[in-house]
Amino acid sequence: MTLMELLLPAFVASLILTGIHAYLGLHVVERGVIFVDLSLAQIAALGTTVAYLMGHDLHSTTAYVYSFGFTILGAAVFSFSRMHRKTRVPQEAVIGIVYAVSAAVSILVMSKATQETEHLKEMLVGNILSVTWPELFRTAVLYAAIGLFHYIYRDRFLLISMDPDEAERRGWNIRLWDFLFYVSFGFMVTQSVAIAGVLLVFCFLIVPSVTAMLLSERLGPRLAIGWTMSAAVSAAGVAASFALDLPTGATIVATFGLTLLVVAALRRAFRRERAGEGAIEAESARV
Amino acid sequence: MKKLCIALALLTLSGIVPRAEAKVRVISTLQDFASIAQAVGGDKIEVDSLAKGYQDPHFVDAKPSLILKLSKADLLLVAGLELEIGYLPPMLDQSRNAKIHPGNPGYLDLSQGCEVLGRPTGTVTRAMGDVHPFGNPHYWTDPENGRRIARAIAARLAQLDAANAAAYQSGLASFEAKLTDKEKQWASKMTPYAGAKVVTFHDSWPNFAKAFKLEVMGHIEPKPGIPPSPTHTLEIINVIQQNKIKAILVEPYFDQKAPKFIAEKTGAHVVVLYPSVGGTPQITDYLTLFDADTDALVGALGGN
Repeated sequence: MTLMELLLPAFVASLILTGIHAYLGLHVVERGVIFVDLSLAQIAALGTTVAYLMGHDLHSTTAYVYSFGFTILGAAVFSFSRMHRKTRVPQEAVIGIVYAVSAAVSILVMSKATQETEHLKEMLVGNILSVTWPELFRTAVLYAAIGLFHYIYRDRFLLISMDPDEAERRGWNIRLWDFLFYVSFGFMVTQSVAIAGVLLVFCFLIVPSVTAMLLSERLGPRLAIGWTMSAAVSAAGVAASFALDLPTGATIVATFGLTLLVVAALRRAFRRERAGEGAIEAESARV
Repeated sequence: MKKLCIALALLTLSGIVPRAEAKVRVISTLQDFASIAQAVGGDKIEVDSLAKGYQDPHFVDAKPSLILKLSKADLLLVAGLELEIGYLPPMLDQSRNAKIHPGNPGYLDLSQGCEVLGRPTGTVTRAMGDVHPFGNPHYWTDPENGRRIARAIAARLAQLDAANAAAYQSGLASFEAKLTDKEKQWASKMTPYAGAKVVTFHDSWPNFAKAFKLEVMGHIEPKPGIPPSPTHTLEIINVIQQNKIKAILVEPYFDQKAPKFIAEKTGAHVVVLYPSVGGTPQITDYLTLFDADTDALVGALGGN
């Protein structure tokens, strides 16, 4: 076996993650629910843990059904919590509470289990190197289905994410669409966390869309920037993990952070220069 | 009313006056030591353990019941070598039981007198990762160390409870006889596989490998909790393929995703090997622990 054979699935996995995460990341950042993925991943992990305690294998279909059931529960909670704006409870508070409580309950459930307790930790760290081709194929099919769903109803999802007041004026059932959004999102996160771990999934989701927001205000360019950046960073991260002999997932995460930093610095320098030029022009006009 | 008063008085008295048949209360961190202590002490002692055999012995969640057990104990058995450093010291403080603090006869570090492997030579630095600076603390996975542990426990029990010294001596003799018998069984079971090469998940089986004549060729996750780099993963895969290694040994409390992935790539088998008594309900004592583990190994090394 060569290094290429080992790294290729990891690289393809990050490309597959790129496709859907950069897009849904835009929604997540627009909605201001940054930690919703951590929260849904944690509640999905709780589902798997409960399935395990009931005597099902960790990586079995039944365990997946359990984790998806719990994710739907979480989606329901999040689609209702938006409506509580009048009480001025921010949605991030609800997201945080769901995270903390489901993490704690997972620990309680696991304290009754007898084996693979490390699995809890493992689920959140993930090891993108141990992804297999059949697993990648299943993931690609699932993401394609979610992507298609979001493409068909893109008008609804986009307007609700970007301008909920306008959506309300049009009399749409926001609660229903929010629920559908979080269910499909939870479906995706459950799968991607199993492959890549929470840290990496968070980066694939948030960093490209934040970077794109720095550079453009329009949706199309933002998507293009997000996808390009995500793919380039994956390639650079995988290469660096090979060259420097470092754990692959964590290296990609650090590369994401570094890239964002560089883009932000360049943007600032560029803006200053332009502002400087503008001032000179104004000066010369006065003269 | 009178009867009740007398009953109460008796109850109070029984608490103050030590009963002749009071048992020595022994608490151990690992179920393995508890099992050996039970074999040695028989009905003269009462044994309990903090960590269950199915838990990772490096991490034990402090529960109120554990502190209560510590506060009542006469003798504490620990593995030492910093295995329990993550949870025991604070619990020991909270127990407010000076008898079982280090330095007192109620504290017995069983690593002393056992054969400990992997003692780093030279200075230990942070750069070496998660090394145990005093040596590998998984020494009880060698049955000969089990014998040494039994002797140490018998001697300490006799010191704490001199009246029953003879009972402890005979308990020890019968445990040693059974162990010797079993060791012959295990050795003959493992003879066909002497020198078999294996890979382990973490570096926790050097004593076991030495006792059962296995050769450990590498670890899947050299630093616990840190995913291995691609180069290391590839190295392990190549080592397994080149040496036609048939078994990857994993403790039951670790996630099997990475070992299964490597097994799939190489055709090796993932063998869940139990490091401690109580790892599964079938492993009821120190001797059945090695019955189960040698069975699992024979299954993997013997199959094609």
